[in-house]
Amino acid sequence: MENRPSGWRDPQLQLALSVLCVLFSELLLKRGASDTASAASWSWTGINSLASPLVWWGILLVIASFLSWLYVLKYIPLTIAFPLSRVVDVLVPLSCWIFLGETISARRWCGIALVVIGLAIVAKPVARLEERL
Amino acid sequence: MNLLAFFFILTSLVTFVAGQLFLKRAMESTMKSDRTRARFIALLGGGIFLMTISFFLTLGLLQRFDLSYLYPFQGLSIIIITFAAAIMLREKLSFQLVAGSVLITVGVVLVSLT
Repeated sequence: MENRPSGWRDPQLQLALSVLCVLFSELLLKRGASDTASAASWSWTGINSLASPLVWWGILLVIASFLSWLYVLKYIPLTIAFPLSRVVDVLVPLSCWIFLGETISARRWCGIALVVIGLAIVAKPVARLEERL
Repeated sequence: MNLLAFFFILTSLVTFVAGQLFLKRAMESTMKSDRTRARFIALLGGGIFLMTISFFLTLGLLQRFDLSYLYPFQGLSIIIITFAAAIMLREKLSFQLVAGSVLITVGVVLVSLT
């Protein structure tokens, strides 16, 4: 097996970057979409959201996350990489709570806890994968 | 939920999972020197095409249902991808991985229920 790339080419760093890009894109898209919300009948297509610069930054981040995700797929098995990428399902509600002032119910906190435990279990094989490389 | 909605939810899930498998295959093909560029482009193109179908089907569903209703189904993609990758890409599956994926899925479903 070839050496694992280090520095910026580290697949685990790229996975983290991909997740962060998704997280910030969601927040930017939500902000931008809310800013441009209108009652016009054609607005359900979401196209009018393009009027917001925040939405364009969000789109850039979506593209960036896709590129780093492709890079991750080169090195990490899908059975491990995909469940790990779902850490966004925890980060997005947490960020909505912190940055957008949305509330999190008790049931939602329980769900977040379960996801974190599941992530910890899935992340272990990555550590073993690391030793083999 | 009527049968048509169920069909679209299922199709958007299947195209999403298939898209991921295509992308994974495409990126793997770049690691092998004997693979041609044409194969990589075909797999990448196929992956992006499938993900696009899934994206627009999801948008169509979002117009008709609440996000909180649809999101738990997307949580299922974790389980489906884990098994699909194990079967079709012959990736190794451990009890640990399956247990972790199940916990994440249940967690995602709980998070999305309001």
